Amino acid sequence: MAPAAAAAAQPAPPSLSLPPSQFARLQPHAYLLAHLSPPPSSNQPSIRANGRAPSQFRVTSANTGSLTHTNGSAVVRLGDTTAVCGVRAEILHTEDIASWSVSRPTPASSSPTGNKRRKLTDSTAKLSAESENKEEDGDDESQIQDFSLLVPNLSLSTGCAPGFIPGAPPSALAQSLSHQILTLLHSTRLVRAEDLRIWYQPPNLGPEELERHNENEQMDVDAPQGEVDLEKNKEIKAFWVLYIDIMIISLAGNPFDAAWAAVLAALRDTKLARAWWDVDNEMVVCSDAVSEARKLSLRGLPISSTFCVFEADAASGWRAVVIPDAEEEKELDDSTRKGIQRRWVLADPDGYEEGLSQERICVVVDKEQDGKGKTVIMKLEKNGGWAVDTKELKTLVDISAQRWEDLKQILEQC
Amino acid sequence: MASTLPALAIPGQRLGPVASYSAGPGTHVQQSNVYASIAGPVVVDPAQPGSKAKATLSVSRSIRAPGTGNVVKPVTTSAGAKPAATSAPPKPKLKYNTLPTVDSVVLARVTRVQKRQATVSILVVLDDPASTQGVNPSQTASDNDNIEAILSSAANPENHSSSDELRFQALIRKEDVRAVEKDRVVMDEMFRVGDIVRGTVISLGDQSFYYLTTARNDLGVVMARSEAGNMMFPVSWKEMRDSATGQAELRKVARPF
Amino acid sequence: MTDRRRINGPPSGTRPAVFAASLNSASNIATGRPQRQRQPNELRKIFLKTGLIPSASGSSYLEYEPSASLAAARSSPKCLIPPSSALKLACTVHGPKPLPRSATFSPNLVLTTHVKYAPFAARKRKGHIRDASERDLGVHLETALRGVIVAERWPKSGLDITITILEAEDDRWWGDAPDSHDAPWGIMNVLAGCITAASAAISDARIDCLDLIAGGVAAIVADESEDVEAKPKLMLDTDPAEHRVILSACVVAYMPARDEITEIWLKGDSSKALLGTDYKRSGHEALLDGAVDAARGAHSVLAEAVRESAVRFAGLAPGGGVMQ
Repeated sequence: MAPAAAAAAQPAPPSLSLPPSQFARLQPHAYLLAHLSPPPSSNQPSIRANGRAPSQFRVTSANTGSLTHTNGSAVVRLGDTTAVCGVRAEILHTEDIASWSVSRPTPASSSPTGNKRRKLTDSTAKLSAESENKEEDGDDESQIQDFSLLVPNLSLSTGCAPGFIPGAPPSALAQSLSHQILTLLHSTRLVRAEDLRIWYQPPNLGPEELERHNENEQMDVDAPQGEVDLEKNKEIKAFWVLYIDIMIISLAGNPFDAAWAAVLAALRDTKLARAWWDVDNEMVVCSDAVSEARKLSLRGLPISSTFCVFEADAASGWRAVVIPDAEEEKELDDSTRKGIQRRWVLADPDGYEEGLSQERICVVVDKEQDGKGKTVIMKLEKNGGWAVDTKELKTLVDISAQRWEDLKQILEQC
Repeated sequence: MASTLPALAIPGQRLGPVASYSAGPGTHVQQSNVYASIAGPVVVDPAQPGSKAKATLSVSRSIRAPGTGNVVKPVTTSAGAKPAATSAPPKPKLKYNTLPTVDSVVLARVTRVQKRQATVSILVVLDDPASTQGVNPSQTASDNDNIEAILSSAANPENHSSSDELRFQALIRKEDVRAVEKDRVVMDEMFRVGDIVRGTVISLGDQSFYYLTTARNDLGVVMARSEAGNMMFPVSWKEMRDSATGQAELRKVARPF
Repeated sequence: MTDRRRINGPPSGTRPAVFAASLNSASNIATGRPQRQRQPNELRKIFLKTGLIPSASGSSYLEYEPSASLAAARSSPKCLIPPSSALKLACTVHGPKPLPRSATFSPNLVLTTHVKYAPFAARKRKGHIRDASERDLGVHLETALRGVIVAERWPKSGLDITITILEAEDDRWWGDAPDSHDAPWGIMNVLAGCITAASAAISDARIDCLDLIAGGVAAIVADESEDVEAKPKLMLDTDPAEHRVILSACVVAYMPARDEITEIWLKGDSSKALLGTDYKRSGHEALLDGAVDAARGAHSVLAEAVRESAVRFAGLAPGGGVMQ
C-alpha cells in the first residue's frame, strides 16, 4: 500500500507550493524575506516571520529571589529564551591573596599619608558622605578586577538547544558570553568594591600593645589614638566573592540580552550577610539575621540591546564583501527612495534570524539620574558586516534607550 | 463501542480489548488490551464493511482535525507565504519526530557530491506511510515541524556546518539517480551541493546513512541556486535555468507541476 | 587545575560563609529544626508543566511545593539560612536524532541521560564538571526510563535527556553536624523528581512509552523525640531536613498501569527498623510499598500534565500549569 499511497500523494504540487513550515525549513532566507518585503499587491505590512516589527523586542518577564540557596537569583524570559541566574557569595581572606601583602602598605613604610592607605580610608569616609571621586572609583575597580571578586560563568550545556552536548566543556559561544558578561561587569563598574569588603576594626589598644601584635595582623602601628585614628585602624580582612552563574535553560536566540538582564536582576536581588572578623576563631563570621544583611548598591542600570542585520541578497553572506562605490551607493539610495528595502535591522533576533544574518550590533546604555538624565552608551559592539553606519547606529541607540525604559519597569516590578 | 473511547489518550491508558480492535500506530498491546503509547487524539479507523478485519485504534502524532490550522495550507513560495504563516496566532504545537521509513518521501539538502554517490541531509519527511492510510492524500503532507519551533532554533548557533549532525544523513547512489540510462549518469550533472532534492527512502541503510532514490519523474532536484547564486527554475527533465542571468545548468530535475 | 574555558575565581579559592549561629551550640539556634506539617502519607504538591522549551522536541519543568517552614521563611524572612529547600528542575528531550558517526548500528532508540546540578543548586556550591553523584543519578535515571520506552519503534536514532537541577533537596538539616557521615538522602528525592519530569518530557516529545513512569520516595524515620524506645515510622515523600534520623529510604520508578517497577534504590538499614505492630510486613517491604504509593501520587500529577500537553498539541486549548 505504501507505494500506492506515495504515488497518490504526488499530484499535490510540491515544488512551488509548500506548507509554511516546510518553506521555512527549506528556504529560510526566502521565507524571512517574503515576510519582510511582501508583494505590493498583497497590502501586507512588512513584518518579521515571528510577527514582530523590526524594532520590536520579545515579551520579557523577570522574576527574582525564588532560588533558596543563593544570595540573589533571577529568572528572565525573553520570548522563548530563558536565563536563570544565581549569585552566590563566598569569602576570600586577604591572607589568602598572594599579592595582598605587596599591594597593601607594610607597617614599616606606611605612614598616615601613605599613598595606598590614604585611598582606602578615603573611600570609606567618602562613601558614607555619598560623594564619589575618580580616584576612589579607580581603586574600586582595580580591587574587583585584581582579586577576581566577580566570577560570572554561563552554561549552555543544559539541553537548552539541540547541538550543545551536555557534559561537554563550555562551547565557544558559552565561553564568549561568559567573557562578555565579565567585561561588561568590569567596564560598567556595576558592583562597588566597598560592598564586597569585610573590615576589621581592631580593639582600641595602646600603640605598644599593638606593636607586640604582629605586623601581619595589624597595619597601623604608628597611629596615634583617637576617634579619627580608629577609622585608620580599620583593615580589610576579607572580600566577598560573587559567583554569578547563569544557566540558559532555553535558547531561542539572543542569549546575551537575556543573560545580562538575568545578571542585573539577580545582583539587584543580592543580599550579603553582615560579616566580621572573629579574632578568636581567626575567620570571618556572618550574622544570619536578615535585618542586618544589606543589598548591593549598584552603579546605574546598564541594559543591553542586541540587533542583527538581515540582507535581502541571500548570497551576501558568502560573496566577497565589496564596499559600494558612488554609483552603487546612488542606486541603493534610489531603491530606498522607491521603497525597496534591501536590508533590515532586527531587534532582539530569534534563533532563526540569528542564523540568517552576519552582522550583529550590541548596544548597552544607561540613563543618568535614574532615567531622568542623559542616555549614556556603556558599550557598543558591532561585527560581521558594514551595513550599519553611524546614522543607523544613532537610531539603534535611540531604540536601546527606549528599551532601557521598558526593561527598567520590568526589573523594578519583579 | 467507539463511544467508550476517550478523545485524548495518554501513555499507559487502556483503549479497548484486542477482541474488538487491532493496534495501530501510537498504541501497544498488553494482556489482551490495546493501550496508548503516546499522548494525543485517539483515531479509530473502521474496518472495511464486510471484511473480518477489526477496527484499528491509533493515537495520532499529527493533527488532522479540521479547523485546527496550519496543516494543509499550500502556499506559493514566491508571494503568498506570509499570510498563512502569520494569520493563525496560537499555533498548535507539532513535534518533529517522524523518522524516515522505507517509502517515505523526503526533502533533503545535498551536502556532498562524489563520483559514485551524493550525500544529503534530510530536512523534511513528507509523509509517514503508516499513518496515511485511508486519509485524503491531499492532507498527508504532514506538517512535521511547527513554525514556532523552527523559528526558535537557529540552524545551529555554534557553527553551521555541524547542524547536519543533528539531521539524518542519506546517500543517493549513482544507480539510484534515474531510471533510464543509469550507466551514463555523471553525478556532477545531477546534483550540486546546496540543492534541495525530493527522494524516497529505499532502505534504512547502515548505522549512519539512509538510502534514497530519485529514479522517478516526480523525484529529483526541486530547488537550486545557480553558480551566480540566484534561484533557478526547471526547463526540462535535465536542465534548470538562472532566473536572472538565464544561464542553464544541468540537474536531475523533479517534474514540476 | 585552572580551567581555561571558564572564568575562575580567586586562585587561592574561597570559603563559604560561616554563620555565627552554626558555630555556637545547637541550643543557640533560633529557628530550630523544621517540623513536618504533613501527615505521614501526605505528599508535597508537585508543579509540573510541559513544553516550555520550544527548541527541544519535549520538555518539562518540575517544582516541589516548599515545606511549611520554607514557605514561612520566604514570606517573613528573619534568618538568612534557609530551613530547607524544595526541588526545582528543568528537563529537555532532544531527538530522535541521528546517532553519532562513531556509533554502531542500533535497531533501537539509544537513550542518553544527563543530570547536572546548577552551581547554586545546593547548600554547598557545586562544581561545573559533573561529579560522581551526578553521574550516579544519570545512570539511575537511565535504568528507570529504559524499561518504559518502546525503543524498537525508533531505529538507529538517539534520544538525549538532559536535566538541570536548579534547586536540590537537602541531605539533612543544616544544623546537624555538617561532617556527620550520614548518607546523602536528598539525592533520592532528586531522583524521584528526575524520573517524573523526564517521563513528562518524553511524553511531550511523543516517544512511545508503555506507561507514564513516576518516581516516589518513602523513608523510615526515627525522630519525634529523643526517646530511644520510640518506634520508627514510615513516611512518604520525606524532606530530609525535617527528620533527625532517617534509618532507611527507598526510591522507585513505577508504572501504575502495569504495576511494574523499573528501578529500585534502597539505602540504609531497613531490617532493624521495627515498625509498630500494625505493620505486618518487614521493613523493606513497607518501604517499597510506601515508595510505590508516593509514585502513584506523582503519577496523578504527571497524567494531568501530559493530558494538558496532548490538549495543547491537538490545538484544543491554550496551555496552563498543573498544580495538584
